[in-house]
Amino acid sequence: MSPEIAAPNAEVVAPTTAPVSEAPSVVFDVRELDVYYGEFRAVRDVNLQVLQHEITAFIGPSGCGKSTVLRCFDRMNDLIESARVDGKILYHGIDLYDPRIDPVEVRKRIGMVFQKPNPFPKSIYDNIAFGPRLSGNKGNLDDIVEHALRRAALWDEVKDRLKKSAMGLSGGQQQRLCIARAIAVEPEVILMDEPCSALDPIATARIEDLMQELKSDYTIIIVTHNMQQAARVSDRTAFFTTEVNSESDTRTGVLVEFDSTDKIFSAPADERTENYVTGRFG
Amino acid sequence: MNAPRITSLADSAEVEQVRQQYTSELEQLALQVELMGVLVDENLQRMRTVLNAGDLNVAEEAIRTDDRIDAMNVSLMERSYELLRREAPVASDLRLIVSVLRVTAELERIGDLALRIAKLAPEHELLTRVPAAIDILETLAEHAVNQYRDALRAWSTLDLGLAEQVASEPEVAMASRHLVEALLAYEGPDAVVVALRTMVAGQALDRIADHSAVLGARVRYLITGDPDHLAAEVR
Repeated sequence: MSPEIAAPNAEVVAPTTAPVSEAPSVVFDVRELDVYYGEFRAVRDVNLQVLQHEITAFIGPSGCGKSTVLRCFDRMNDLIESARVDGKILYHGIDLYDPRIDPVEVRKRIGMVFQKPNPFPKSIYDNIAFGPRLSGNKGNLDDIVEHALRRAALWDEVKDRLKKSAMGLSGGQQQRLCIARAIAVEPEVILMDEPCSALDPIATARIEDLMQELKSDYTIIIVTHNMQQAARVSDRTAFFTTEVNSESDTRTGVLVEFDSTDKIFSAPADERTENYVTGRFG
Repeated sequence: MNAPRITSLADSAEVEQVRQQYTSELEQLALQVELMGVLVDENLQRMRTVLNAGDLNVAEEAIRTDDRIDAMNVSLMERSYELLRREAPVASDLRLIVSVLRVTAELERIGDLALRIAKLAPEHELLTRVPAAIDILETLAEHAVNQYRDALRAWSTLDLGLAEQVASEPEVAMASRHLVEALLAYEGPDAVVVALRTMVAGQALDRIADHSAVLGARVRYLITGDPDHLAAEVR
């Protein structure tokens, strides 16, 4: 009768994605990672891979260990006396926690942007030039500063007041300044720990746009409380949650699910992820 | 010493379930779709009565019910848009709401097709002039209504097996050809008008079965969230 009715047993062929000619390279390979503060195990059994030129988001309730894991990537946990890491984080195949690795070198390649913008109480110019000066960069500082500010989409707003204090910038501008400061030392990876939580929606949208521009040159890992932000900006999402040990009354963070962001927000495999992303559990 | 009891925070009593209002709104939404489906089912039943006996009163009732179906369609659309705007739903919540929009559109369409046949009531006598043709129409009607009911049951029970079965239900073998053959064999001054009315009914029944299959495919996607199942809906 009507031609659009499928024939009996018609096979419907779903469109397939074209084969990827080259697999994206793995920047971080996290294997069986546990993080301890003294005897207390803060996070356990984290396994995930961070791919180059992707944005990876870490989401989960407070205390789930997402920031703790983020801080392992640039060895910031070293700054806490009692912190200890078990398992491995391979950075391009090299064990980040090998005793021969210099944490200062690690932090040159892996920049961090924090929740609250934290510019130095110096001029805009000096904020950007600080890192390159420290690392003895012989290039033209003016060029480095301009390039970093342009990459952070801040140049046009500050080019006429480079010698003015960075503290006079708005919160959103300060955060982009911090991103420019991270970029100025030419890192490969930018870690962001809730970079927009202190910003208004417009400033947040600017940072999100900027992240999309930066990912062609950098690999980005972002911790965010804003699930819509993770859904908007990231390629892959890791959902962490907290386990409660009733006897010792301690809480340990655990990685529940790590998959493409599309999958996590459309059809997550684990019920705990589903409950969290749909907002059923706070 | 006993092994320590480890629970996910999400399972523990100290985290109370939040968004209960939203959760109950989603449940209500799914239930309202079912009610709309029941109204459509009633009209399918009226359609069969008209095919069988050409009852004018039944046809009138079908017209009134179709107005209610249309009003429910609009109201469910508005509620879905409101939830999308207000809650920015994700995962199974998002699948439910977009599925409600799809399913209500299909239900509305099935209702219109049933009405198209019900409106043939004043000319019912024309349909009975070719006995072989009316037999085929009644067979098609039974098949389409059964398929529709399975689809509605799959929606309300979220039965994946049933949804899959409805989505891949084969059409009644050779029905279309047999119908045309029966009409061509009929000779008389009214042959053209008889053929036209019969074909209107035959095509409407065919489309009802087809839309029911789409309902099945949509329920399957709602349950699995598998993008391949979304693609399978396009027929």
